[in-house]
Amino acid sequence: MPPSGEVLASVSSALAVLLLLLACVELGDAAAAVGVYRLIQYDLAGAPLGSRAAALNHHAAALPLPAGADLSRSALVAPLLDLPLSFLREYLAEKKHLGGLLILLPTNLGAKNGEVSSDDKGQPKSVLAELEKLLVHEEVPFPVYFAFHDDNMENLLADIRKIASSGQPASASTGGYKLIVPSAEPKKVSSPTISNIQGWLPGLKGEGDAEQLPTIAIVANYDTFGAAPALSVGSDSNGSGAVALLEISRIFSRLYSNPKTRGKFNLLFGLTSGGPYNYNGTSKWLRSFDQRVRESIDYAICLNSVGSWSSDLWMHVSKPPENPYIKQIFEDFSDVSKEMGISVGIKHKKINVSNSRVAWEHEQFSRFRVTALTLSELSTPPEFLESAGGLADTRESADVESVMKTVRLVSESLARHIYGLRGRNIDVFAEDSSLAISPHYIRSWLDLFSRTPRVAPFLQKNDPFIAALKKELSEHTADVHVQNDVLDGMFTFYDATKSTLNVYQVASVTFDLLFLLVLGSYLIVLFSFLVITTRGLDDLINIFRRPPSRKVKGA
Amino acid sequence: MTVFHFLNCAVLTFGPHVVYYSATPLSEYDTIGTSVKAAVVYLGAALVKLVCLATFLKVPDANDSFDPYQELMKILIGFIDVAGLYFAMTQLTHRNISQNHKFQAVGLGWAFADSVLHRLAPLWIGARGLEFTWEYIFQGVEANANLVMTLSLAALGSLMWLRKNKPKTLIPIIYACALLLATMPSITSYLRRSLEWQTPKVVGFELFSSLIMAFISWQLFSACQRPM
Repeated sequence: MPPSGEVLASVSSALAVLLLLLACVELGDAAAAVGVYRLIQYDLAGAPLGSRAAALNHHAAALPLPAGADLSRSALVAPLLDLPLSFLREYLAEKKHLGGLLILLPTNLGAKNGEVSSDDKGQPKSVLAELEKLLVHEEVPFPVYFAFHDDNMENLLADIRKIASSGQPASASTGGYKLIVPSAEPKKVSSPTISNIQGWLPGLKGEGDAEQLPTIAIVANYDTFGAAPALSVGSDSNGSGAVALLEISRIFSRLYSNPKTRGKFNLLFGLTSGGPYNYNGTSKWLRSFDQRVRESIDYAICLNSVGSWSSDLWMHVSKPPENPYIKQIFEDFSDVSKEMGISVGIKHKKINVSNSRVAWEHEQFSRFRVTALTLSELSTPPEFLESAGGLADTRESADVESVMKTVRLVSESLARHIYGLRGRNIDVFAEDSSLAISPHYIRSWLDLFSRTPRVAPFLQKNDPFIAALKKELSEHTADVHVQNDVLDGMFTFYDATKSTLNVYQVASVTFDLLFLLVLGSYLIVLFSFLVITTRGLDDLINIFRRPPSRKVKGA
Repeated sequence: MTVFHFLNCAVLTFGPHVVYYSATPLSEYDTIGTSVKAAVVYLGAALVKLVCLATFLKVPDANDSFDPYQELMKILIGFIDVAGLYFAMTQLTHRNISQNHKFQAVGLGWAFADSVLHRLAPLWIGARGLEFTWEYIFQGVEANANLVMTLSLAALGSLMWLRKNKPKTLIPIIYACALLLATMPSITSYLRRSLEWQTPKVVGFELFSSLIMAFISWQLFSACQRPM
């Protein structure tokens, strides 16, 4: 019968479609979904560094590990302080494979002056700094994620340990927890941009003053670099410097708004990017200037890591301290610092033009023969990709007080230089005047910086943060301009800095088999019971004894 | 592995119905037609129930406590089930099958339709996931309890509506038990919502009460079978 056949065919195809639809219902029912932050992945001059994988799908394991445990198919969950660095070094050195690593960062990272006893103080930070150094400069073949060690994670960890203490390491046959980060292969960030923001406070030209006014530049880099790009907020390095710059621009804009107090110097404010990468952005920024503008720069003050010092600040220069310019600037600073009761030291480090490493921002100026110096709390030049705003550099590591002192030091000495007040004990920015340094302004900006990860390759040029910096600078200065350039081709970065970790509690295959066994016996017992009660024992025996005869009987 | 778990749970949920059909004389007398008819009636009853629930009940809030009026309405609407059973057993014309088999076939079809309607979709969506929960195993056990309960109710129904000459003394007991069985869903809902019993406890209660009720029903049924 063709019609019925057609009907059957259409029904079966409809059924197939329905089944297909049902099978497509995807499931997102994880017990917990945690935001995790991936270790940075980048290539430096073609050499692969950082975590080279993003996808994670393994059973969870925790320290302490049972002897002889094979971790190649498990994801190790370790709180920061429990993770022995020697263990990690061994894995990296011997190229042993680890399924994955989830490092739990303490939530109160760098909680200072509190109930923390003195020997604990800074311990997580130093461990973190060491870990960061290790991971950033190595090729890590497995996925490494950072998460915060909250209560849920604590429970998870306790559960994993409980399961592990039962003897067997986690695997498919023992159940436990499965950690899954669904992630595609990380892609290269195509042409990472660096955005330098500049603004001018033009000085007052005298009548008939044809010559260009001298310029003083105040510069700070605002971007960061750290093991986890999505966590690199760099409050101290170099959020503090950028905030100090914003505050200096604010108070000088007040002075410059009145023609009577407008100085005979142009002030140039520059928020540069690419700081961790040998101040690549600063170099590109300087190159973009006209030769005459560059030559008009009297000197440049770079601010770097000025958020956590108490009484000692260092002035780093690349010209010898005997140089008259340097001497003069240093004397300006020392005068003010004496009044403030702090000390400013001078450190001279010659630049080596053949070496590509640029440790301080002022060295880029020096390479363009512009007198420059860096004010920093660091007494020694940082190593490459270090002290650039890593994991440990959170809001707690920068305090408003230090930034205020820096602002006072810089602006007071600048004002004396600009208005020729040298040697006179005048507080231009006295605390109760309209020119007072505002702790609220500094605090709010420091808070914002501490909330915003600022690793340059992951900051698009139209990022709201860059727009906010631009807007803030244009509130105080004129001719604000954002210069976008491409980061040095030596670096290649990969995306997928942030992900969601799904934690599943899974049953083991053994459990499923056991369950099947119990289920089977239950059904058999039920069957036998029903047969016996409704038909009698003989029938049951007959079923098993002579199946064919029963069929005949039934027929 | 998760498909394995899904299959396990599916067998636990629907297996007993199949076993019941094949183990008892129902299969020998080929009563599948009756079961299918009962299932269709169940679908109709479920539809009517849905309409009634939507019409007469307000939307429950998440923090809604046990509201007696609403629960009473629910119980009344729950009696639609009884009406459906009544319809399936007395109004539908069946092939000549004995009363004994009729109530079993109707109860089986009824319970199977209930399981398919209420448990198949959550099972399909949930049990295939990676996350392991006991939920679907409990749901399967619940399906078993429900089967026993439905069969008991159908047995009492057949006593009430189909058997003419039953001992007078037993009639009130039969009606009381049927009433109890019909209100069982409301009782479990009360336990779950108002006393905040956890799922294992509720399922255990359901299993226990269904076995007790089955035993009572069986005793009543065999008492009525005896020649007077």
